[in-house]
Amino acid sequence: MNSLPVGETFALGLLAYTVGAFASLASWRRPALARHLCCGSAVAGAVLEGCAAILGLLQGTPVRWSISSGVPLFAYSFSYDALAGFLNLTLAILVAAVAIYSFSYLKEFEGRRNIGIFGLLFHLLLLSLTIVFTSANAFLFLIAWEVMALAAYGLVTFYHEDPEARRAGLLYIIMAHMDVGCLLLGFALLTQASGSAEFASFHLAAAGLSSSHQAAAFVLFFLGFSIKAGVIPFHIWLPAAHPVAPSNISSLLSGIVIKTGIYGMARIFFDALGVLPAWAGVTVLILGVVSAVLGVLYALMEHDLKRLLAYHSIENIGIILMGLGSALIFRVTGHPQLAAVALIAAMFHTINHAIFKCLLFLGAGSVLHSTGTRNMEKLGGLIRPMPVTAFCFLIGAVAISGLPPLNGFVSEWLTYQSLLAGFGATGGLTRILFPIAGSMLALTGALAAACFVKAFAITFLALPRGAESSRVHEAPRSMLVGMGWLTLACAFLGLGATWFLPVFDAMTEQLLGMRVGASLITSNGLVLSVGTPHGGTVSTAIIGIGLLILLVPTAFLVSRGARRFVRTRGPTWDCGLPGLSDDNEYTATAFSKALRMIFSALYQPRREIQAVFDVSPYYPKEIHFESEIEPTFEKRLYAPLQDLILWFSTRMRAVQAGSVHAYLAYIFITLVVLLILVSRQ
Amino acid sequence: MSFVHDPQFGDRMITLMAALVLVLQIAMVGQRWLITNIRMFALQSFLLAAIAGTIAFFNHSNHIYIAAVLTFVVKTLVLPILLERIVARVGIQQEIEPLINVPLSVLISGGLTLVGYIVAESFYHPEETSAPAALGHNTLAIAIALFLIGFFMMLNRRKALTQVLGLLSMENGLFLAAISLTYGMPLVVEIGIFFDVLVAAMVLGILVYRIGETFDSMDVSKLRRLRG
Repeated sequence: MNSLPVGETFALGLLAYTVGAFASLASWRRPALARHLCCGSAVAGAVLEGCAAILGLLQGTPVRWSISSGVPLFAYSFSYDALAGFLNLTLAILVAAVAIYSFSYLKEFEGRRNIGIFGLLFHLLLLSLTIVFTSANAFLFLIAWEVMALAAYGLVTFYHEDPEARRAGLLYIIMAHMDVGCLLLGFALLTQASGSAEFASFHLAAAGLSSSHQAAAFVLFFLGFSIKAGVIPFHIWLPAAHPVAPSNISSLLSGIVIKTGIYGMARIFFDALGVLPAWAGVTVLILGVVSAVLGVLYALMEHDLKRLLAYHSIENIGIILMGLGSALIFRVTGHPQLAAVALIAAMFHTINHAIFKCLLFLGAGSVLHSTGTRNMEKLGGLIRPMPVTAFCFLIGAVAISGLPPLNGFVSEWLTYQSLLAGFGATGGLTRILFPIAGSMLALTGALAAACFVKAFAITFLALPRGAESSRVHEAPRSMLVGMGWLTLACAFLGLGATWFLPVFDAMTEQLLGMRVGASLITSNGLVLSVGTPHGGTVSTAIIGIGLLILLVPTAFLVSRGARRFVRTRGPTWDCGLPGLSDDNEYTATAFSKALRMIFSALYQPRREIQAVFDVSPYYPKEIHFESEIEPTFEKRLYAPLQDLILWFSTRMRAVQAGSVHAYLAYIFITLVVLLILVSRQ
Repeated sequence: MSFVHDPQFGDRMITLMAALVLVLQIAMVGQRWLITNIRMFALQSFLLAAIAGTIAFFNHSNHIYIAAVLTFVVKTLVLPILLERIVARVGIQQEIEPLINVPLSVLISGGLTLVGYIVAESFYHPEETSAPAALGHNTLAIAIALFLIGFFMMLNRRKALTQVLGLLSMENGLFLAAISLTYGMPLVVEIGIFFDVLVAAMVLGILVYRIGETFDSMDVSKLRRLRG
């Protein structure tokens, strides 16, 4: 099996992205041509990269190739192993969907925006993502990482006339630089310890790493990667930046770009740093729990469809971190089987979240494309004009809520099982942590379901709430095809989970030295079990069949009932006050009111009602109502930090005299002092 | 004519020329006339080219000849002509107005030469290295001194054009250090450096012109106004 053309296909895919970048830029004066070149080459690249990933996964053994650059420590080294292949597969699935979707989506840019620039940034993003997942040299990785951040910045601020987009872009670029700074220091530590910047050498040098070095490297990498992944409390850029980008880009940002943080953690924590102590795993697990619960709680309070989805990305990153954290704990406490299950749960949730979050963002993009607003309070009743979009969005919503039989359920179930197993497998305080984390995961799932009931029902059900809804139309065909492809993927990964799980075998063997795929699947590939004592078993295929069996008689009864009973339509009872308008419909704010009250300690809701009276307080002329929740992290954590930096900068200003001579004098004095110090030694 | 091939003789020649380079550098600090300053720089660069040529001759390394020729062409001919043209074009006053007066400046330069020798001392291990390193001893000290004095010249002068001269003589110091310690860096690196110097001088020339146009003066102290 050593002759599969993995490298060649991979290189061709990169070439397709490169060609796409320059071809769309070159044809920017002809928008229609640029659009077709941009999307066409993205589809070609996605197909090639998808093939490369499948070939790489089939091959089973890592493929490595390295081109020396002549600069010390830096080489163009690539390694196509199981982890890289898996993430590239995820990327290819998403890119295929987004590229097909964009054929129609970009049409509205024609004549208004520069599609050439868009194509360049889009393809740069895809190129850098592919290289991030495959590079085997720290410097190549960092360069690709930085190009990715810059391309994403360009796309986030693509609607640059919008001040919100500019602000979000600024926040994003600041956080991106903080994270690359942490990574740079982390890689510097590892490079110093191993004498080389190749990932393979980190692995070899890990055994000789002192525990303080290991801890420092862990903290740096964890900071860097969690900023990128949007882990609370480093998340503030994510709900700002993801909604303002064009929707096809939001779907990639939330779908795969934040997963580079997860990829980095899997790569570094399991491979390059040796066996990490238990506290590292506990840190990851706790931050995972915090992100999951707070992410979904903040999502509940959002009425902006895309911001809501962005907060759900934080929640799902939290769920993935729970899996990663427990895998780290199990590895150091000597339970490789459980570690493998937890790692599979984390990585499976990575691909699942990528797919359904991408699907949901594309659905939100269709809604935005058709109605022109992201505010849920102005939407409503969209299921009638946009049935296909509504169906795809519903499937995505069911999947993200972790309901069987779709893919979100399988990975959340695996995470849950590994958390429960942790109670029996560990001791001390860690033992208590696991059931708490498990119950928090359950709470997260329930709140996510509540949130998506709100998102779907307010957006697609009931009657239209805005005046604009008369010109609402179904999304064009290519957008539907893009969403349909992801819907199919959701269904396949849910119902066919047992067929997909062996894919993880090579990855767990590479990172943990264990193959557990076979023990997870029982009863001829129908039933999923954890393979641990007291572990649960579940079968999405059987649940799916069961649901279908239940659905058939229900549908039959409903259709019979519809024939027997006559449906009559009448006006809503208006309590005697005439003139009910769209505004009197049940709102998203009202839906989440109960939860806002329960969690008021967290939200610190603030309400302000001002009534203007004319004659008597019983007949107010106008009532102003304002309600908002406190942005806790911005106010309690980032605002003091910002004040500190500003204070420090003001103090530093005295040094910035503005005189060239003063600057030269600084350099000169530093130089002379350093030279003398060096010669003293 | 056998003494011509005697390495001892070459060594002395090089030390002598390096000393002259240093003397010229200190003289540049003390010199108040801009045109004279540029010509002194040209002479200094010529001496550097001669040092490079001598090293090439005694070590039989042909690529240092190329470096020598390049130094001669770029620094002795092209840059001084370029700089004199800018002087003529901007029509600035010929007299340099240093921030620190001349006697004190020359004293400071002497102190910096001392620093150069102190620093170079720590790199001098005759027992460890082979014979040619002895050449490095004096020239490295002079190179560091050249660099520091060049820096001091930049610091000490008000006008952008005279700062360019400081920068260029700093570069001369680097060149001397590189050539006397390593007997020539790879040719690609040398050519890269020359190209850099040329571009830097051109950019600075344009900058000088612009500063002169905008502020009606070339005094960089006026750039303080740009501060936000």
